[in-house]
Amino acid sequence: MSRSLQHEVTLLELVDRVLNKGVVLSGDITLSVADVDLVYVGLRVLLSSVATLEEQAQLSAGGNAR
Amino acid sequence: MIHVYGVVDGLEELPPLAGVDDAPLERRRVDGLEVVVSLARTPPSAEVTREAVLRHAQVVEGLLARSRAVLPAQLGRAFRDEDELAGALRAQATQLGRGLDRVRGCVEFGLRVLPVDTGPHLDASSGAEYMRTRLEELRGQDRLVAELHEPLARLARESTLQRDDGGIRAAYLVERRNAASFREAAESLERATELAAVCTGPWPPYSFAEGDS
Repeated sequence: MSRSLQHEVTLLELVDRVLNKGVVLSGDITLSVADVDLVYVGLRVLLSSVATLEEQAQLSAGGNAR
Repeated sequence: MIHVYGVVDGLEELPPLAGVDDAPLERRRVDGLEVVVSLARTPPSAEVTREAVLRHAQVVEGLLARSRAVLPAQLGRAFRDEDELAGALRAQATQLGRGLDRVRGCVEFGLRVLPVDTGPHLDASSGAEYMRTRLEELRGQDRLVAELHEPLARLARESTLQRDDGGIRAAYLVERRNAASFREAAESLERATELAAVCTGPWPPYSFAEGDS
């Protein structure tokens, strides 16, 4: 299993959960989710930098890379 | 505008995080139900941004680590004021209480198996060809369910399964103390299959927060 596929799927699962799952509390204000694809792509950019940092941290800690 | 992250039970302390729009997290208690919220000082932008998605997810994750049970709230609704929030919680109190019982002590795992490649048959020119492709796809899915989903479902308290486009998507509600062994089982199944199967988690129990058990 490639690392990048794992990342992609994790991200997809995260967006799906936050926006489509979870208990619906009947608030009066409905926030619009303009474009889920845009949210997804934007998050990918945001998270890939986090992931890179984590990987670097693991490497420098002599981590347990498989 | 009040943004709700989730309904919690036995929350030790708020996670050291800021909420959506950098607003501080706060606790509210209504008739024995506790929720974690943040107040947006700015007028509602009425749109979900990627930062909001990430922030919401991080806060809920922080709540999972610090409470006995958390029912993650779906991002996309907000409350105008405290009265409205209290009213909604009262109206849904029974259902929310049951929901907390259902997920107490549990985390969620996800499984996504990407579609099986049906190759050149995809460009089906005749009805018979199309049917054959479709049958192969269904047989492939049955195999996925039997070989990957069912063994994992047996390790879980509850599970959900969705078949989509030749692949499957599943979610599992797993007791915290079984999380490590569940993860191991999922990883060994991932390795055993030649398919693109990805197990994710542990997640807060988003997929088991709504609806009847």
